[in-house]
Amino acid sequence: MSANPYIPILVIFAIGFGFAAFSVGIAAVTGPARYNRAKLEAYECGIEPSPQALQGGRFPVKYFLTAMLFIVFDIEIVFLYPWAVTFDKLGLFGLVEMAIFIGTVFVAYAYVWRRGGLEWD
Amino acid sequence: MLTIQTPEAVMFWFLAPLAVISAIGMLLVKKAVHSALLLAWVMITLAIFYIAQDALFLGIVQIVVYTGAVMMLFLFILMLVGVDASDSLTETIRGLRPIAITAALGFGGLLVSLIGRATLGREAAGLVDANSEGNVQALAKLLFSTYVWPFEVVSALLITAALGAMVLAHHQRSVPRATQREQAIARFRGASLGSAAGLPNPGVFARHNAVDVPALLPDGSAAPNSISATLKARGDMLESTQFELSEVDNTVTEEK
Amino acid sequence: MTFTAPVLNYAQLAPMLIVLGGALIGVLIEAFGPRASRHASQLFITVASLVAAFAALVRVRNQSSVDAAMGSVGFDGAGVLLQGTILIIALLSVFLIADQENFTALAAAVPGSSEERESLQLDLRVTEVYPLTLFAVAGMLLFPVSTDLITLFVALEMLSLPLYLMAGLSRRRRLMSQESALKYFLLGAFSSAFLLFGVAYLYGYSNSVTFAGIQASITGGSGNDVFLLLGIAFISVGLLFKVGAVPFHAWSPDVYQGAPTAITGFMAAATKVAAFGAILRIFYVAFANAEWQWKPALVLIAIVTMVFGSVVAITQRDVKRMLAYSSIAHAGFLLAGVIALSKSGLDASIFYLFAYGIATVGAFGVVTLVRDSAGEVTDLNRWSGLGKRSPLVASVFAFFLLAFAGIPLTSGFIGKFSIFSAAYETGSTAILIAGVLSSAIAAFFYIRVIVLMFFKDPVEDGTSVVIPSALTTTTIAVTSLITLILGIFPAPLINFIESSAFFIR
Repeated sequence: MSANPYIPILVIFAIGFGFAAFSVGIAAVTGPARYNRAKLEAYECGIEPSPQALQGGRFPVKYFLTAMLFIVFDIEIVFLYPWAVTFDKLGLFGLVEMAIFIGTVFVAYAYVWRRGGLEWD
Repeated sequence: MLTIQTPEAVMFWFLAPLAVISAIGMLLVKKAVHSALLLAWVMITLAIFYIAQDALFLGIVQIVVYTGAVMMLFLFILMLVGVDASDSLTETIRGLRPIAITAALGFGGLLVSLIGRATLGREAAGLVDANSEGNVQALAKLLFSTYVWPFEVVSALLITAALGAMVLAHHQRSVPRATQREQAIARFRGASLGSAAGLPNPGVFARHNAVDVPALLPDGSAAPNSISATLKARGDMLESTQFELSEVDNTVTEEK
Repeated sequence: MTFTAPVLNYAQLAPMLIVLGGALIGVLIEAFGPRASRHASQLFITVASLVAAFAALVRVRNQSSVDAAMGSVGFDGAGVLLQGTILIIALLSVFLIADQENFTALAAAVPGSSEERESLQLDLRVTEVYPLTLFAVAGMLLFPVSTDLITLFVALEMLSLPLYLMAGLSRRRRLMSQESALKYFLLGAFSSAFLLFGVAYLYGYSNSVTFAGIQASITGGSGNDVFLLLGIAFISVGLLFKVGAVPFHAWSPDVYQGAPTAITGFMAAATKVAAFGAILRIFYVAFANAEWQWKPALVLIAIVTMVFGSVVAITQRDVKRMLAYSSIAHAGFLLAGVIALSKSGLDASIFYLFAYGIATVGAFGVVTLVRDSAGEVTDLNRWSGLGKRSPLVASVFAFFLLAFAGIPLTSGFIGKFSIFSAAYETGSTAILIAGVLSSAIAAFFYIRVIVLMFFKDPVEDGTSVVIPSALTTTTIAVTSLITLILGIFPAPLINFIESSAFFIR
């Protein structure tokens, strides 16, 4: 087909936006809208949201550790991607190299796990 | 020769100004979170550019690593510092700002003019060859042949990163956490047997069983120790008398 | 797509593989080893892998090949000498690092918090420094033998990352230590970005990231010279940052002062060898034929670095800061060897790196010994009269200072003499004059410290020299002995370097 390759993408965008707009619109028009204070109350679980977060909204440093570890293994995944699309061509050598790579990074995982870096307490 | 298709040009002229404006906005906005969101937008735009220019792998990595992980790290750091925290804008060294701005403009201008002289009016070369087997496939071939040694060495780099994160941010427990058995024994050997069965749950026997409402004990008194310490510290504990049974309005009315 | 599996020369990569293996075992010990025996087993693994790596290096010392690892690692005489130097310096530094008095008990504890006190009482130890040191050493081993820009970048990151971390692990004055680590990291990240920028331009220039490919493009002369200029400029920024040349030196006094002294010694000595190794290789192999593009700028940087380092060192009141500025000045002297761009320049640089590295480790080893009840004393005023109380330690330190100053009968004299004569042979008279002048200025402040130690009255403020541990004693003894021997009988090493130092193309 000689048509522009971007046209299907535009069509997908149009369908996506159209569906979202339609759903929101039809819910507003057809749904019953009866006000009840209890609907807005925290029910069964949860608490009333407080306007001010604890300690000025600062997160404990544990989140940072988790994010850092996530990035480390995220980058490992990035290297898996080229291997995954060509592993049939790279053959045994590619498999062995990738195994060594993953095995080496797994050492870091073992360290983090044994030292309690994955525990949340 | 690389021919630029019209939709690509349209996309470029649509997204590029947005990217530049967000990048400038990132520097100028006051709130750190807004700045981070603008940065995320710049990153996504760059990813779109990369993919449009046939650098598929780079585009994907840009999304996966930068927009996904690094951006999240940025936000976490903002949260660590506190969303409301703002930097002091006073200069520690007098006159540094004008010098810095002049130097940056001069350096940037020099760079732009040099790169302009070197690239304007010349065609990009070599992309079609490099991508002839597919962008990611060609990259895989390089990664597993020519650059296999640096590739394996990168794994050591990742270990260093994990090690560093742990060393700097992980609070090693000096005493192992009490097991459930130890906790149970401690409860029974405690001063009073009253707490042996554990603490009451919040909201129990009250009309409202949200976690911020103290439980009512059988004698009708409130039990503040049923509320999580965090909520207490936040001051999010509601008065439980308003939820006592005697306070409940028993009359039934039809919903309007 | 056809894919042929690459062939690696494992014998030539063995030193790096052994060090990396040791680091991995170290991390596994951290993961699974009992806390009580961790320190001893880590020390053993670290020393063993450094010694084994050195043995592996000796085994392949006469080999040379361009494709030890598919063209990304070049194995040659200069590479072997630099790697050997790094391993020796690393081994001597590990003995200093083994004295854990320098390191914090728990890096994650907030300075001054109860958690910190508790960790000190429990005698916790950050034994991760051993695997981190080994990772840094592996990066340093790779740095001077990289023959393509991608490997160069990976090696740079690998040697830097552990150093950024370890700079923040000081036991005392922890806020300063953490601040220095942050400064080092931020500026280091900037310089890495510059280096990458340069890599991109050189690829644009030559359609290749290997040194040989860039050299071929320069000889061919058909490339876009603006790209070449930008590439050389940015790569130089990245590399000169690592050696602390002016104007990319701003990190070094703060980091030298803030980091634990053992780490400072390791960093000052081994990073300089690795980074100058890489600079020598890239300028001698890749950029040699584009001399007209970089030489004027590099001459200027070398002169400014020598003079600035020497002059600013005079005003320093802290031993570690003074040594930092002195190391900046030495970076300037070493750049003279790069500019010479000749065989004698290469030989002189390698000799200088060896001599300077050894003396630096020794000098920082002595600094760890001068303490009061609150830890190391680095204020120079409180060192006054040290020679009257502890003549031996003060004499050893004075000897290292004389070696830095380049006084005859020390290794520093031979190093300076050979590097300046190499610069003179190739017609860099300006460098020679600046070098001799700044050496004279530098000699002034080194000798001022010696005068302070021996001819001033001691101050009674609890400053004393602690009895060194056996390992620290070994390091100080070995380094001072080598410095002395190289000052008196330099010929064997010089001949060895002359016969084997060359860069494979």
